Amino acid sequence: MRNVAIIGCGQTKHSSRRRDVSVAELVQEAVYNALQDAGISMKEVEGIVCGNMQGFGGVAQPDLWLGDWIGANGKQVIRIATGGTTGGSVGQGALYAVASGRFDVALAVAWEKHSDSKEAGATTGLMHVGAGNLFLALNYGLSLKNLIATTAVGAAAGVAVYQARFYMHRSGCTIEHLDMVSAKARRNAAKNPYAHLQWPNCQPEDIAKTEMVAYPFRYGHICPASDGASCIVVAEEKIARKKCKHPAWLKGLASYSDEENQLQSEGYGGVGVIDPSEQMGARLSAKKAYSMAGIVDPKKEIDLAEIYQPFPSQELIFSERLGLFDEGSAWRYMENGETDINGRIPISVSGGVNATNAIGSSALQRILESALQIMGKAGEHQVPKKVRNAVAHGWGGVTNYVTVTVLGDSPRG
Amino acid sequence: MKEKVAIIGYGQSHHQYDLNQTREDMVFDVVKEALKSAGISRSDIGTVVSASTDFLDGRTISNVFLSMAVGAYLKDESKVEEDGSNALYYGMMKILSGAYDIALVEAHTMAWTFNPHQVWFYTLDPLVERQMGFDDICLSALQARMYMEKYGVSEKSLAKVAVKSLSQAVKNPYAHRKLKKITVEQVLKSKKFYEPLTELMISPLSDGCAVVILASEKKAKEICEKPVWIQGIGTYQDDYLRDRDLLKLNSLKKAGKSAYKMAGIKNPMREIDVFEVSARFAHEELMIYEALGLCKDGEGAKLLEKGLTSGNGKIPVNPSGGALSADPICATGLIRVIEAVRQIKGEADGYQVKGVKRALAHGQFGICAQKNTVVILGGER
Amino acid sequence: MGYLKDERPQTMMLDGSWAVGAYRYKALPLLKEFALALKEKKILGSLCTGCGKVVVPPRNICGRCHQRMDEKIVVSELGTITCFVVSPPVQKGKYKLFGMDPVETGILKEGEELIPVFVRFDGSDANVNCLLINADPKKVFIGMRVRAVWAKELKGNLSDLEGVEPLEK
Repeated sequence: MRNVAIIGCGQTKHSSRRRDVSVAELVQEAVYNALQDAGISMKEVEGIVCGNMQGFGGVAQPDLWLGDWIGANGKQVIRIATGGTTGGSVGQGALYAVASGRFDVALAVAWEKHSDSKEAGATTGLMHVGAGNLFLALNYGLSLKNLIATTAVGAAAGVAVYQARFYMHRSGCTIEHLDMVSAKARRNAAKNPYAHLQWPNCQPEDIAKTEMVAYPFRYGHICPASDGASCIVVAEEKIARKKCKHPAWLKGLASYSDEENQLQSEGYGGVGVIDPSEQMGARLSAKKAYSMAGIVDPKKEIDLAEIYQPFPSQELIFSERLGLFDEGSAWRYMENGETDINGRIPISVSGGVNATNAIGSSALQRILESALQIMGKAGEHQVPKKVRNAVAHGWGGVTNYVTVTVLGDSPRG
Repeated sequence: MKEKVAIIGYGQSHHQYDLNQTREDMVFDVVKEALKSAGISRSDIGTVVSASTDFLDGRTISNVFLSMAVGAYLKDESKVEEDGSNALYYGMMKILSGAYDIALVEAHTMAWTFNPHQVWFYTLDPLVERQMGFDDICLSALQARMYMEKYGVSEKSLAKVAVKSLSQAVKNPYAHRKLKKITVEQVLKSKKFYEPLTELMISPLSDGCAVVILASEKKAKEICEKPVWIQGIGTYQDDYLRDRDLLKLNSLKKAGKSAYKMAGIKNPMREIDVFEVSARFAHEELMIYEALGLCKDGEGAKLLEKGLTSGNGKIPVNPSGGALSADPICATGLIRVIEAVRQIKGEADGYQVKGVKRALAHGQFGICAQKNTVVILGGER
Repeated sequence: MGYLKDERPQTMMLDGSWAVGAYRYKALPLLKEFALALKEKKILGSLCTGCGKVVVPPRNICGRCHQRMDEKIVVSELGTITCFVVSPPVQKGKYKLFGMDPVETGILKEGEELIPVFVRFDGSDANVNCLLINADPKKVFIGMRVRAVWAKELKGNLSDLEGVEPLEK
């Protein structure tokens, strides 16, 4: 695999309702910012990999329409969309495209505009994941009581509630730890000018005061639904070295799928997974990405992690799956401040998905934020320690998709 | 020597309007067929790239319940949300990057679930075109009318494209719409949608799935007797509808040029033995001849009239019947790749073109063929 | 850093719609088989002869082995709770389903605390999502043994399995 690096990043300000722009203009902001940051013009870009979850905005294949706004017309464009991991898959698509030798410079663009949908909180799109199964089950007399129980509880928190409960039961983590993680996310987001939920000096007690949605998730734990877009510029080695002082080099990547966790399979069939916090796909993706990166002991060699955590329990679960902490111990280290901005292994210092969630672009943002940290361009939320290796993670689907990307400050091999 | 990627196996469903199978079953059966044709098992697969769209399948994250059926359990997986030929491109890039040896590429759409023409409507700009009541057939008809007026092409030529495709398809066991004794009059008299497009000039609503198995050069030479090599590939996206010159398929011209360059082809008419193109509407095929460099602008109809592009002509186009005989939207481009592979391997019983060494496959996506992908395949590396 | 607007005045808005309800989906008769088995107080699952996994409700493809799961097997009506969630007390006006309020229409009682649980019936390797009834929300724990509760009138559809109740009262 030839060496490729991220040489520029751009994102938009995320908010719950960006009613000042159409989705085309929103994506254009991110692409413009990325090109400015990388110091290149659209002429030098050979290919674009883009994607979002198209059900949310009600526009099918939006890149056919908004391509003109971002200069995609006349260029090689591939659209990738994989649900919650869309951003991660798009980022990996651009990285593979340049690593394959087919392009020398490529863009990865991902976005989401939830406010374009009338139903709040991305409901239409999310409901349609299981709508086919639901209609089938109703046909066979699924009781309305059962339906309401699953949807009322599931509506806001969905599949993550059960996953959190499994983790808490296994590891001894308590709801206070979830408060701590969310407070850290909101605090960190206050240092990030593009983040959505910014709460300077947020403390766990502030989160604990919010209403309980479904134990163990409080209203203050749950991610927002944001409008926003992000874009990264990927270049091959020669161009990267010329254009950028400290490019973020690709070291390893993988995206393993697991069996559908929790919701039924198509046709309301069962799935052979008992514990959705086990995440075998995440374990294997991390293993593959680390082996590509030449990382033997992630606990010692990974300096920073950007974890996709719309719910605080997932920061703890996935930090263990990525090998950063031993099984069931993540909450202890978090409690001791090891994952703070100035901690030993800072996690989600941008605020993470807990503070900003434009679903299509969130996983790309994790790659983007890791790259910013390696490049030293994160501004107020730059970590004080030197970042040699960072891991960016995303999950999606019915908690069965994962993308893991390892970036570093020096090329592979 | 730049490394190349080969196709070592393939499979497709018997396309029809209502396959009467769930998505899972359809994909599972075709994947099994492809694995058998390649002589490998699921454990040999390194990565899976599928192609389907949320809007067409009616499920957000259209691949989430299909990961098991497509064989991606605990394997690297991704999904391209457009034509299968782009999924092939992505799979190829994953192999060329050195990360994986074998990639499985899958594409499917079930038109029975939701009318694809409705979905094309949703690709229109919500702020302008959607407010004006256009749909994709109407816009294509406008394009057909523009082409006919500019170059003096008559409706009969469009009907002849349909006759060629639908009668050729009779010999293709996988095709959906096959009409043995179809005539130009019958095509012109079929149900009129928007002038000049009638029902038989528009691709049918099909359910279908196609799977192709790719391998790196080293692996292909190891495990496959007769791999088919991807010698050239290119994909481009055109301007959006409002800013495009609908008379020309510019993105196809660029894609073709890029693929020809990569394959070292200077004269496509002489150096390529068979063309499998995706023409969703009859007039698109004539425009495709021009964009691929087979003739000058406006002369597409002449090529057709002279019989050069029929099954036994000098530059056979769509001996399998093309998209006019079977169009599972996302799978169409990948099916063209499979048909080109069959021609090269000599497996296209009933519609085999003699002595095929190199073939061209083409996939498109978007209203009036806004995005196009061209793949050049050959029996020799 | 990047372009950040100072002000974000609202721009024009136009309405649109997506005919989401117009889709048709295909399904296998597996769910029907499962529902009919419930009429005889039997919980049906499918067994994969490759890896030995049993999933409830039945499924036709085992992704691990990449083969069909044609064998059906009946699992026990006793099981263990692997996970549970206690919903906040039901309130009128808080939630609407298909345009109707569940308390007003009598489906749920005001103040009721629903307990959706994941149950692993003995002999199966899958979680079944159903309601825990006749139980005190404060006494639920992971690992609790439960038994299936059958509806008084068995009709051969999914509501025949009303839920599960604790083995020990």
